[in-house]
Amino acid sequence: MPVLASDTRPILEVRDLRTYFFQDEGTVKAVDGADLSVYAGKTLGIVGESGCGKSVTARSILRIVERPGRLVSGEILLRGNGTEQDLARLDEESREMRRVRGGDIALIFQEPMTSFSPVHTVGSQMIETIRLHQSLDKRAAREKAIEMFRLVGIPRPERRVDEYAFQLSGGLRQRAMIALALSCAPRILIADEPTTALDVTTQAQILALLRILQQRERMAIILITHNLGVVAEMCDEVAVMYLGRVVEQGPVDAIFHAPKHPYTRALLRSIPSIQAPVRTRLPTIAGSIPHPYNRPPGCAFHPRCPDFMPERCDRAEPALDRVGEDQRAACFLYGDAVR
Amino acid sequence: MTVPGSGAPLLEVKSLQKLFPIRRGFLRRVVGHVRAVDGVTFHVERGETLALVGESGCGKTTTSRCVLRAVTPTAGQILFRTAEDVVLDVATLPKSQLRPLRRQMQMIFQDPFSSLNPRRTLLDIVAEPLVANGVGNRAERTERVAELLRLVGLRPEYMRRYPHAFSGGQRQRIGIARALALNPRLVVADEPVSALDVSVQAQILNLMLDLQQQLGLTYLFVAHDLSVVKHVSDRVAVMYVGRIVEMAETAPLFTAPRHPYTEALLSAVPKPDPRLRAQRIVLEGEVADAAHPPSGCYFHPRCSYAVERCRVETPALEHVAPGHFVACHRARELSLRGIQA
Repeated sequence: MPVLASDTRPILEVRDLRTYFFQDEGTVKAVDGADLSVYAGKTLGIVGESGCGKSVTARSILRIVERPGRLVSGEILLRGNGTEQDLARLDEESREMRRVRGGDIALIFQEPMTSFSPVHTVGSQMIETIRLHQSLDKRAAREKAIEMFRLVGIPRPERRVDEYAFQLSGGLRQRAMIALALSCAPRILIADEPTTALDVTTQAQILALLRILQQRERMAIILITHNLGVVAEMCDEVAVMYLGRVVEQGPVDAIFHAPKHPYTRALLRSIPSIQAPVRTRLPTIAGSIPHPYNRPPGCAFHPRCPDFMPERCDRAEPALDRVGEDQRAACFLYGDAVR
Repeated sequence: MTVPGSGAPLLEVKSLQKLFPIRRGFLRRVVGHVRAVDGVTFHVERGETLALVGESGCGKTTTSRCVLRAVTPTAGQILFRTAEDVVLDVATLPKSQLRPLRRQMQMIFQDPFSSLNPRRTLLDIVAEPLVANGVGNRAERTERVAELLRLVGLRPEYMRRYPHAFSGGQRQRIGIARALALNPRLVVADEPVSALDVSVQAQILNLMLDLQQQLGLTYLFVAHDLSVVKHVSDRVAVMYVGRIVEMAETAPLFTAPRHPYTEALLSAVPKPDPRLRAQRIVLEGEVADAAHPPSGCYFHPRCSYAVERCRVETPALEHVAPGHFVACHRARELSLRGIQA
């Protein structure tokens, strides 16, 4: 395979991903046709409010969707070393999929406390992970764990590896989580709300750390968050999700300075900004996010949309279509493409 | 330390202290104290919003709980001006006299999911403070609940429904309606929007601003999110490890902070604009442990401006400009970076 071609193609490409939860009360289409591209060394942000499907998208990529959820259709193409693998077609518990999880793609969660076992030291959990993916003996794996702890800025790493998760502070625990995720040198790191449970000064430390590690390892990051400030600070590319679908996608500057989809615009206007004048009312988005069982017909955002066109937006669903250079939006304001 | 030209404050907190004992061993002997709140002094004027901000463990929530006497302070005074224009010390008032006072101070909670009883209807929930204080008969209470629901933007027809039928934002409105049932003079809001989605946050913040204007409410607003604080408060007190390190009117605190911790805190907030990927101040280390605070100024181990004096001498909260108080030895000589509007 020619080197150039493999360099410009995304290392992870998600096409028309659908993950549904089949419950007695009905089917929740948590992710219903998501398209994403992830490039080496770049950060893709997935933003949206609760229930938009951002976390389920991440879990679908890793094939760790919990029952009654199931990946219904779509492609998840992982590329590298001249090969291409469709993760959507692998068995969840297959050897190949296990090699991908932790090896090629690693995940860090929002709550580092619940992601570590309370009855094993953080070090022993790391050694286990390292030995699962690399043929190292216990001693070498322990050395590697200490080295990783040092890399993520944990003070006195040779002592900290023998501590339990509860003995670490929130910031240190998240650092340990990152060390664990990076211990097998993944090509893609999925960070699901990595700083949401942390204080702002700790958040700044963790974000700075992720940026440094990304530069060093040329790792791709998928950053899932509801915090638009974090997105603006970290991402190269942004996908905005609403009720299971990507409604807008583009370079970070375009998303923040030339947003096209009415939801993106409204979301950006409604966030409290530290640069706003003191004591000002915020523009709001009318209504609230509909329950996934009652997904509105047509464009799911139409009941809350200021640009709602009757008999258009409530009838058909707009497709994600080009609205500018590298920018795409799913809205009838910009074209007639229907899903 | 009243601001010149202001009337008698609604609430005056003086040298408030709350220590939580650390017990060890079989005999549960006290081996130390967590100094959760350690000498906090501030006041709240009628009709204004004072925000207490800081990171987890800074004592902002404990301070607000002391004000409501949900926890009994270890030392200090909490002077509250009642509707009858009598000043009472909430810190030392006997339990029997607290009940009538509590009608005048109410609370809005953080989590709209766990703060509403799932087995009770909206009518029961919002009317509960009325029932508990023997206000009105059933018909009058129902009338009042309908009025309150309208006030917070919910339809009174919903009053027979249960909380599960409502979204997070609507539940927070229910919590606000309950807090307002008794026409309180002071409303303590502890992180009222931090559990809500971004698009809903704005709705609740606007509602709080509107209600304040409509009803002349006074808010003690506890939050960690400085952007949220900027949208609602008149004055801000920044806390660090149990102490107020800076207190000022909102605009000067954000544009021209005088304490290095405030500067770092403002700098750490991610700005929603990719063109502003600024050189941020990333603080080293972690928030000091309130059980074993460092010597001198509690912030000195993380402060890039610290000098020898900061290691030994604890700075007092001093008046540096009209209405602007700072606890920093170098407050007058440093020129710190704020947020440009």
